[in-house]
Amino acid sequence: MRWWVAVELIEKILAAGGRSAQEVEVYLVEGTGVSAELKREAVAMATGSREWGLSIRTIDKGQIGTSATSSPAKWEECLNAALSSMSLATPQEWHGLPEPADLRRPAPSYDERVVVEPSAAQEFLSLMLEGARKHPESRITSGSGSLTRSEVTIANSHGVHYTAPRTEVSCSLEAICGQSTGSEFAHSPFLEIDPLWVGERAAFFAGHSAKGLPMETGQFDILLSPVALAQLFGNILVPALSGRTVHAGRSRLAPLLGQKCMDGRIDLCDDPFARGMGATAWDAEGVPAARFDFVKGGVLSSFAYDLKTAYRYRAKPTGSAVRGGFSGGPAIGVHNLVLDGPREKIGYDRALSIHDVVGAHTANPVSGDFSVECQNPIWVEGGGFQEPVRKAMLSGNLFDALRGIGGIGAGSRIVGNSILPCVRFKKMQVIG
Amino acid sequence: MSLPGIRFSDVRCVRATSTHIDIDNGVVESAGTSFSDTALVRVLGPRGWGMISVNNLDLSSKKELDRILAEGLALARITEDPVSLAEPPRGEHKVPAPGEDPRSLSLEEKTRVLSGIEKAAKIPGITSTRATYIERTEEVFYTDSSGYENQFTITRSGFSVLAVAKRNGDAQMGRESRHTIHGFNLRHQEPMGVKAGETALALLDAGAAKGGKMRAVLDPELAGVFAHEAVGHASEGDLVKEGSSVLAGRIGEQIGPGILTIVDDPSLPEFGFEPVDAEGCRTVRTEVVSRGRVNAYLHTRETLAALGNGVAGHGRAEGGEPPLVRMSNTFIEAGDSTLEEIFSECRDGILLVGSRGGQVDPGRGVFQFNAEYGYLIEKGERTRMVRDVSLSGEILSTLHGILLCGNKREMHQGFCGKGGQSVPVSDGAPHILLSDAVVGGSGAD
Repeated sequence: MRWWVAVELIEKILAAGGRSAQEVEVYLVEGTGVSAELKREAVAMATGSREWGLSIRTIDKGQIGTSATSSPAKWEECLNAALSSMSLATPQEWHGLPEPADLRRPAPSYDERVVVEPSAAQEFLSLMLEGARKHPESRITSGSGSLTRSEVTIANSHGVHYTAPRTEVSCSLEAICGQSTGSEFAHSPFLEIDPLWVGERAAFFAGHSAKGLPMETGQFDILLSPVALAQLFGNILVPALSGRTVHAGRSRLAPLLGQKCMDGRIDLCDDPFARGMGATAWDAEGVPAARFDFVKGGVLSSFAYDLKTAYRYRAKPTGSAVRGGFSGGPAIGVHNLVLDGPREKIGYDRALSIHDVVGAHTANPVSGDFSVECQNPIWVEGGGFQEPVRKAMLSGNLFDALRGIGGIGAGSRIVGNSILPCVRFKKMQVIG
Repeated sequence: MSLPGIRFSDVRCVRATSTHIDIDNGVVESAGTSFSDTALVRVLGPRGWGMISVNNLDLSSKKELDRILAEGLALARITEDPVSLAEPPRGEHKVPAPGEDPRSLSLEEKTRVLSGIEKAAKIPGITSTRATYIERTEEVFYTDSSGYENQFTITRSGFSVLAVAKRNGDAQMGRESRHTIHGFNLRHQEPMGVKAGETALALLDAGAAKGGKMRAVLDPELAGVFAHEAVGHASEGDLVKEGSSVLAGRIGEQIGPGILTIVDDPSLPEFGFEPVDAEGCRTVRTEVVSRGRVNAYLHTRETLAALGNGVAGHGRAEGGEPPLVRMSNTFIEAGDSTLEEIFSECRDGILLVGSRGGQVDPGRGVFQFNAEYGYLIEKGERTRMVRDVSLSGEILSTLHGILLCGNKREMHQGFCGKGGQSVPVSDGAPHILLSDAVVGGSGAD
């Protein structure tokens, strides 16, 4: 859709919606993408995509309605569905959608070097295969490379009209050696991923873990990689930091605001201006996004709020509305969850390093209890990988574990909407 | 539907209307309807696939279709993997008529009935409740370069209710859900709300399970997830073909006891029902494991041509996404043991109840899933309740550890994710008894 056509459509929706509701919000996404997939070592499939999506919210006397469509021609049907939805919602305290703000600082969400061409995706695959050849004992089973460009627009009846370009590149590879698997991935808004490294690591983990030995059940120090940590954070910690979960009585962190809830070395913030997958200058409701602390020095300092939850509970909005695509309405989330603190050498004393976990989504988000199967568990000592472990299951409670960590490792990496380091945890239950 | 260089092409359009209702602690947070119109055009070039995913495809425009086919062919030309397709078995099942068609009810009525279930969960001691309803009607149209066409409309709907109880800083939850293709299923379901509340309260008094190897009885819901995670995924032809499954090369091999038969059946009118698969193939029952032996893999046309051993008809896809080999309604056939016999044979162990989901690494042959809660079994009797208990293991050794299968099978509904796509499924089983199960829990002696 040409930009002036999109502007015209948005103006039409705002005008038509304004006749039946006090406020109207339009969220528009348009993008293109290309991906290529490996099966074993051959390119088996290439896919191109064109996406267009529209989401409308209408608000009147504290009642909020939503609808979405992928068809420009169906905007009136979509608007009418939003108005019907509005009439059913329970009225709540509401102080309005945001007014226009001066957003001069662009978020690092776009790289003009990203070109949506099949050859670029193909190049990712070739480089990953080259990296994997460093471990010839491992065989490639599948992999993918993709590039997307999109444009996101939010507008409302108060005159907000922001548009931001976004780019995303990603690659992933899976390898196997006997019955030992290894996988690795990288993604970024920038053309800064390293497919060679991704290929080498996937093949390394598959090959190294093939020599895994049984381990005894017991309590051991654990090193959770950024990938494993992101899985547990995404399923347990992020929901517990949502203002909605807190006020609904489903967060174990609810009574701890202003109190120590984690190890004193931990700082945890949402930084929408960090170079991560969720970089944005405004949130999914058009509220200017800004960095804020969840935890500072182990003390819980804030929860995340969208407008609706902040107005209802008289809290300060934190610009934390996110959308998982055009079809869902805005919900509380994180843009770039960043864990930081004093960095230490955490791999010298013996510990079990865990590259990834299977089954994090089965964790109990209310209590924080989890029990997950470890992917590529390897003993570390003296700063390097030692003998691999064949099978290990990790059980514990994330909230309890975060109260007394063993240290924060050097470096960080992007994993979804998180930017995390490796963290050492003390004495956790491992079932061998 | 063709251009020079194209060996085969197909188009699958999905027009969907989705309704959701979310009631949180008595507040209608959202209730509304959304629309989507997505299509995937697949082009099989000289070697592999080129695909184009678009919104609002106008099938009546030859010009647009030719342009998309040309784009697909250009993408297909970068592929290297030679793809062949097995002949498609044709035929469609009729979509069962719904009892009470959800589309005939107003959003207000659905909200009112859901609210009753949410209120029912708020029994004394419960601090938080939430109920959600989802309904999705899909109008599917499929055509391919052979001239074959099919179209159907199906509505899936259901609800879930969550209750949270708190005491002295401890918080526990109970959750119930029901989904169906047979019409509006919310009426008279208040007891499900009460059950969620009672589970949350009971879990406040439950201890943490002590992990380790032990005998375990899996209830029908968890045993169904076990069939899905431990065996179903490993039998998917695409994973077998790429070498990511421990079941590769094991056709005819005895991997479990003779009482064990595991089936995937997309023609069964359960939540994973498909009247025809996403490649226009007739859907039929496949016995993946038959009397303990690996009998067949699940297939699309491509994986069947590459591997054999099974039938096509297991291709499923979200709108605008490529068909993948997927499970539908997956279950362990009932055996002949009574529940009393299973408990007695277990003697000392653990009963695992309900499911919070699971995951598998089919290449490594390792699975993990969490029960909602459990009970200790002591001297053949069910005793203390335990919480946050999980089961993990190696597929092959665990299957050999199945000692008994109960005589009554039940099905439960859910959603399964693979390759970024989520599809509705049902899993089922009778109670089963496992020896040497690896049970996870953070409890200590």
